[in-house]
Amino acid sequence: MITRRDLLKSAGVGAIALSVSSQPVFAAAERVVKMEALMPPPKGNRVVICGGGWAGLTVAKYLKKENPNIEVILIEQKPVFFSCPISNPWLADLVGLDFLQHDYLQPASKYGYTFMNDRVIAIERDKRRVYTTRGYIQYDYLVLAPGIRYNYSAWFGDNRELARLTKVNFPPAYIPGSEHLALKRKIHEFEEGDFIIVVPPGAYRCPPAPYERACMVAEVFKRNKVKGRVIVLDPKEDIAPKGPGFRAAFEQVYLGIIEYVPKASIKEIDPVKKVIKTTAGDFKFTDANISPPHQAGELVWMADLIAKDKEGKPTGWADQDPLTFQAKADPHVFLVGDVIGGVPYPKSGHMGNSQGKIVAKVIASRIAGKEYKPTLPDNTCYSMVNGSPQEAIVINVTYEYNEKEKKITPKPKTINERSEALAKATYEWARAIYRDMFS
Amino acid sequence: MDRRDFIKTCGTVAVVSMLNRDFFSQALAQQKDGMFQAYKKALLVKQDGSPLKEEDIKPHVNYIFFYPHTATPCYLLNLGESIPPAEIKLKDGKSYKWGGGVGSKKSIVAYSAICAHQWSYPTPQYSFINYYPPDTPSETTKKAGIIQCCAHLALYDPKAGGSVIDGPAEFPLASIVLQEEGGNFYAVGVLGKDQFQQFFDNYRTELRQQYGSTAKARELVDKCIVMEVDKYVQAVVRC
Repeated sequence: MITRRDLLKSAGVGAIALSVSSQPVFAAAERVVKMEALMPPPKGNRVVICGGGWAGLTVAKYLKKENPNIEVILIEQKPVFFSCPISNPWLADLVGLDFLQHDYLQPASKYGYTFMNDRVIAIERDKRRVYTTRGYIQYDYLVLAPGIRYNYSAWFGDNRELARLTKVNFPPAYIPGSEHLALKRKIHEFEEGDFIIVVPPGAYRCPPAPYERACMVAEVFKRNKVKGRVIVLDPKEDIAPKGPGFRAAFEQVYLGIIEYVPKASIKEIDPVKKVIKTTAGDFKFTDANISPPHQAGELVWMADLIAKDKEGKPTGWADQDPLTFQAKADPHVFLVGDVIGGVPYPKSGHMGNSQGKIVAKVIASRIAGKEYKPTLPDNTCYSMVNGSPQEAIVINVTYEYNEKEKKITPKPKTINERSEALAKATYEWARAIYRDMFS
Repeated sequence: MDRRDFIKTCGTVAVVSMLNRDFFSQALAQQKDGMFQAYKKALLVKQDGSPLKEEDIKPHVNYIFFYPHTATPCYLLNLGESIPPAEIKLKDGKSYKWGGGVGSKKSIVAYSAICAHQWSYPTPQYSFINYYPPDTPSETTKKAGIIQCCAHLALYDPKAGGSVIDGPAEFPLASIVLQEEGGNFYAVGVLGKDQFQQFFDNYRTELRQQYGSTAKARELVDKCIVMEVDKYVQAVVRC
């Protein structure tokens, strides 16, 4: 049974990330202790998937396709799917909200898995139980695909008020939902001044997203004839990936609107006075889209499956086998999507979809008692860099595995020359993957 | 072979009985793994309705026709050189024999134009999956003489039965089995793993809009109009 100490530990981590409920921990502990089974024990093999994003949805569908006799339960706290990919063109009204939103019931019904709209509050790996707000579920295999969480404590320490003010007033909009809606409202209501986009340091979800977002925000300003600038504060030395493509868009399509500032690591943020101090200077702003460092989603911390560095400190990302995505500490748990660490894979929707298919095959093979040699995932990422006319650039990355060195090497191919054809391909890319997950 | 398989195979044999002996035995062998599916024998015609002749199929031009269903697009290519038969291997370890090119130079091949990865296909508005002739390499993958889908960069080899060269596709493009008779070309069946069920499942709304009903989109054809792809598609998207 989960201990009060365990709960305190997991809730303590959550408090830092500002994403765990503020309910008293003791009450939560008592509630979990008293919890009964939400579902009867599995009759055959049961796989519980926590997280209904691009990776989790793909694992659910493809597990059922691999073996319809596997009982698959997908737990997701949001009732409706809201896509992060293509949300930047949506910010500039290039697509409607219906393009991004999908229902969870269609694939669950079609492929025969259980969709549970619930929140996971604890994981007991030794007993193979996942606790939701309504009870526990026994599993044979557990897949954790919760995506990311924000790490405001890296900037604000224990000052939760500063973190709260920053998040509420200048939402990162990397976790779909209210933050995206708020960001869109802010962009469209913006009248004049400097709008700052902060690129998160370290590994973060969707590496080209901040630069595409800058283009789309600038597109709205251009269309609305706003006297404003979009200032991109980037801790990196240069734009990456697709640097030449983004730089050309900044200089040719949005000249005088977008200002790119490299080597701008955040030193201090004052969300009240609206000042950001960086290693490249201080910036006063009218409005902003401020993204703190990202980490693996809450459930990986809750399950105690975060990797540690040489000094024993948490890296912030999951500790999994690079080929099978199996947790190094637990053969019954698989970690997939944006949470993974120690591999050169970008945290992207396409990558989550690609990894999801591999994980489904690995688990289905284990259940069948067969060996399966996993293939490597791939990634294709289109970025919209102009809204009128709509033009995009693209990067595709495949990977090679060196068995001897146990090393995965990326092989990128990029088109940095923007075109309308690639803009059309952007939407086809998205439609095809939405179709893959939902139809 | 049980009674059911025998009856199924006999049905196929009846449809393909006009094929040459080699193909006949090949198809029969493949039927065992369900890799060949015979459909209505359909004459390939030009837009004016007259039978398509070998000289009408210019080298490295991307032609489109619809087979075996009204709504399932296929590509016809003259690859300009003799294309020998090949053993097509699948990732699950299965394989099937592909007959190579047809025509006097054995240079003409045909494939389903539905991407075997996530079913992108040429519509009257766009085609994201296209043939890249030897002198027109893909900008992204730098490869030429291939069929490439721009949705997720699945690459197929038209010289090798539509095998996967690179990218995320798990299966080769299904190949359309062509038969030449008296200077005319007929499509007689589909070889490999077709994607028709997924295609009809996923594009229900779009196909209803284009064809009026799912039943009409699924109708089997007995004549295929062949045209250059850019006469059918408004925007051929290359990447």
